[in-house]
Amino acid sequence: MNNLFSSIRPENKPIVIASFFIIAILLIGTGYTLSTQGTAPLLSPNYLLQQLQTGSFLGIVAAGMMMVILLGHIDLSVPWTLTAAAMMAASVGGEMALPTGIAVGLAVGLVNGLGVAYLRIPSMIFTLGVDSVLRGLMVAHTGGFAPQDQATPLMRYLAADRLLGVPVAIYVWAFVSICIAVTLTRTSFGRSIYATGNREGAAYLSGIRTRLVIIGAFMMSGVCASIAGVLLAGYSAKAYQGMGLPYLLPAIAAVVLGGTRILGGQGRYIGTLVGVVLIVLLNSVLSIMQMPEAGRQIIYGSVIVGMLLVYGRGSKVTS
Amino acid sequence: MSDTTFRGVPIVELRGISKAFSGAKALEGVDFSCRSGSTHAILGENGAGKSTLIKIMSGVLQPDTGEMYLNGQPVRFRSPAEAAKSGIVCIFQELSLMPDLTVADNISISEPPRRFGLIDGREQKRRAEELLARIRCEDINPNALVRDLSLSRRQMVEIAKALGMNPKVLILDEATSALTSRDVETVYDLLGDLKDEDVASLFISHRMHEVDRLCDTLSVFRNGNHVDTFGKGERSPGEIVRMMIGRDVEAHFPPKPEPREATPYFEINNLSWENRLNGVDLSIGKGEIVGLGGLDGQGQKELLLALFGVLRGVDGKVTADSSSVSPSSPHDAKTGKTRIALVPEDRKTEGLMLPMSIADNLLASSFDKVSTGPFIDSGKERTAVEDGIRKLQIKINKATDAVATLSGGNQQKVVIAKWLMTGPDVILLNDPTRGIDVGTKQEIYKLMRDLADEGKAILFYSTDYAELIGCCDRVAIMYDGTITTQLTGDSINEESIVSASLNINSQSAA
Repeated sequence: MNNLFSSIRPENKPIVIASFFIIAILLIGTGYTLSTQGTAPLLSPNYLLQQLQTGSFLGIVAAGMMMVILLGHIDLSVPWTLTAAAMMAASVGGEMALPTGIAVGLAVGLVNGLGVAYLRIPSMIFTLGVDSVLRGLMVAHTGGFAPQDQATPLMRYLAADRLLGVPVAIYVWAFVSICIAVTLTRTSFGRSIYATGNREGAAYLSGIRTRLVIIGAFMMSGVCASIAGVLLAGYSAKAYQGMGLPYLLPAIAAVVLGGTRILGGQGRYIGTLVGVVLIVLLNSVLSIMQMPEAGRQIIYGSVIVGMLLVYGRGSKVTS
Repeated sequence: MSDTTFRGVPIVELRGISKAFSGAKALEGVDFSCRSGSTHAILGENGAGKSTLIKIMSGVLQPDTGEMYLNGQPVRFRSPAEAAKSGIVCIFQELSLMPDLTVADNISISEPPRRFGLIDGREQKRRAEELLARIRCEDINPNALVRDLSLSRRQMVEIAKALGMNPKVLILDEATSALTSRDVETVYDLLGDLKDEDVASLFISHRMHEVDRLCDTLSVFRNGNHVDTFGKGERSPGEIVRMMIGRDVEAHFPPKPEPREATPYFEINNLSWENRLNGVDLSIGKGEIVGLGGLDGQGQKELLLALFGVLRGVDGKVTADSSSVSPSSPHDAKTGKTRIALVPEDRKTEGLMLPMSIADNLLASSFDKVSTGPFIDSGKERTAVEDGIRKLQIKINKATDAVATLSGGNQQKVVIAKWLMTGPDVILLNDPTRGIDVGTKQEIYKLMRDLADEGKAILFYSTDYAELIGCCDRVAIMYDGTITTQLTGDSINEESIVSASLNINSQSAA
């Protein structure tokens, strides 16, 4: 194994390990179903597409989260940004549903960015506060009851329909992925994110407008959360309280499992994609194995911690 | 040296002490001793080894070779706490107080008085009052937070804390530089008291008049060597300065043009910032290299940062060709009408993003220049990176390698190349040759001269006097936040730079 890994650039090592782990999960899951039911649903394209369809919501949230983590920050306002975007989209309805949802994401991202970049409040605290405020606003908006608004046909089409046999949600995820990947690798904004995340002081003294970079990254995170919210509302036909809660920790886990340094500055988008697929498949194999909820949580958490140990504590830079 | 003129017995003695930092010798076979009841000054240029010496004595650093004796017994301190237990206490330049604890807490932080195993607050307060009274600072409330005290008062608390450890040897590293004149007098009195109590005081100061007034013994250090120790009044200030310099100048510098009156281009008028810059006036012509000299921490760094738009609340006026230059950020400085570049002090934390590639670091100030709209143009990117690498002859393997893999000299070249890409009119350099090899240094000197010949205005801060002499058309010496002396032509020599740095001229006038 060591010989194999020595030829891989250190930043790609987590991606390769995570990819192997995905294959291992598929093999173990298939082995289990073959021995108990005599079938191999995990390897059927239709089953995999279905998993990726539900995984696309997580994938989009993780894409935005990655921008913020690359800066060495974190966006804990994702759960209620997602919920607020979904609720506002559903309650406005009609043609304006989608733009409204995305505007909510942009606005929350702007507030987060201003708070972190200008007020210099640690992002962990600031975004947590924003999350709580959004939650309060949504409870006030709905009066504490489940909202009756239905998702618009467009939202349902994007989340639940299929085009050429492939769920439309996967196309949306692919589109978001291409945008993020191009931004990170081919734009001056993307390069500035890496520079700022590596060493904010050096980036600032290089004449990079680090505050604008921070605000931009938080806005992208907000937009991604809102797109996921709108899709999720379309998938479940309506928005509901707390719909974003299950997405926060898996999104952070996917980014980190994909090899992005939690302290910022390093990471490739392809890694985040691999991380999302890994988490989605791990969940579905555990549910196929009819593992009780308690066991699932334990295995899920252990896998994340275990993989991070395998990655090592990040490549040391000495000179 | 004749030891007969000194009173007291040696309390601390160092024999053959050497210390190197990643190959660079900071101390080389130093023999040094210090007598009880003496007030002993340690003199030397920046980098002479003074700080390393006191850090070894006070247990912060361990020597590579050599022995240390305390009252004739060999000792080896592994930490400042061990040294303090043996009676060697150091008051460092960098304040060691915790701002959010009270004065009393800070004074007793290492050995708080206890009662039933718990800290005895009342006793702690009483002790603080007693120590503060001893240095005539009764007005400091032991229950006040250190955060709320002025810098000068904090330094006094620091001194009280040191006294609380009952030192036999008290080391003061520039301890008076932060003090107001009233507190300075108090410290002078205290040193007199300590002398009577047979405590040895080791005193590092760049203020010659202070040394003259307080110390009975002087030791001069140079390049990690102990040059000589002598009694007060045995040497003239001129002799002492020559002892501090006395080294060979090896580096080769490109030929300087004939001294001439350059037309002022970049003019700084009465620039002030907090208490670090106190009305700086300086003008730099196109094609001129102006050196910035003086002892460490006289405001040189702040001046460069103020010009580059990093500091907030800067007063004064800066103009270029009579139009105002007041950048509010490095981005402003880089893109304004008069473009300014800064090669910062610490290339590892301020100049470079070490884990990123050489190419990304080269482009970090010029992403906009290689982009079409928001997108980076790979063709332009490659050309720019190749140009930069060729122009500065940076030795690399692949441009995609992490910049951390390069040698110090090549890393610094990356920083300089990054800024040349922005096409600056004014180039600010903060000690750009520190810690790099001689060959690269000479390339940088040549590059500076070439840039000046292209018509750029260059302001060059260096802690190495030889560089100031070899490279600069004019040298401005800073002392206490202002430019006290400007040297041109033949008057740029070590003696005049060192005297001006120590502000000896104005001292004799005062």
